[in-house]
Amino acid sequence: MKKIVCITACPTGIAHTYMAAEMLENAGKSLGVSIQCETHGAIGIENKLSEKDITESIGVIIASDIRVDKKRFHGKPLIEVSIQKGIQEASKLIQTMLDGHVKIYMHKEEF
Amino acid sequence: MLMNELIKPEDVLLDFDAKTKDEAMEMLANILYTHHKIDDLQGFLKDIYEREAITSTGIGFGIAIPHAKSSHVLIPTVIFARSIEGIPFDAMDGKDAHLFFMIAMPEDGTNAHLRVLAMLSRKLMHEDFREALFDVQSLDEALKLLHTMN
Repeated sequence: MKKIVCITACPTGIAHTYMAAEMLENAGKSLGVSIQCETHGAIGIENKLSEKDITESIGVIIASDIRVDKKRFHGKPLIEVSIQKGIQEASKLIQTMLDGHVKIYMHKEEF
Repeated sequence: MLMNELIKPEDVLLDFDAKTKDEAMEMLANILYTHHKIDDLQGFLKDIYEREAITSTGIGFGIAIPHAKSSHVLIPTVIFARSIEGIPFDAMDGKDAHLFFMIAMPEDGTNAHLRVLAMLSRKLMHEDFREALFDVQSLDEALKLLHTMN
């Protein structure tokens, strides 16, 4: 089964983070894709992605309204959208990743 | 057990009749104030709108979840209100909101409460749960459904 890793994060970290995670996981189920979703909420970071998860994945979906460190995703196809899009368009995001044509993320250190 | 602490009978309103987003915010916050869950109505509303300014908490699917971690919160509480008619809430999908959850968390909210809110958020993404909430006929029925989160 193909695997996609995700990160969801929102400013307060109370609700949207988990809504987007749930939508992405559900959409993954219907599309036959394994979804690993790391949540950055008020509780802290949960379900942390392992290096193995990232290596095995076909790409990364980040749905967030706050800044997320993307260093570990260097060289992976990466889609980055708002948290709202993560909730509203979860299936579309996963389908886009499956279809390919996603830009490869090249990490640059910011100073 | 935790959901019972967050949503008490006095926190549920099944015939919510606000007409606008602002009116909805004020009415929901007023329930909190009336039951001494917050110490300052305007102060709490300010925190709610500050969060709202980042993105609308009208998340679509007929749901709105205005929320704030605020120093004005005395008791962590979730107000649940249902509007049969629906209220425009700047939702991303353009649809009116029917199910409202106003979440009032103190700044030092415990992880246990945050966890139960995470569960609620996840559950709200399921259509059958939303429909069941929309269809409840009584306060008891609403509480029973909401408390299944535990």
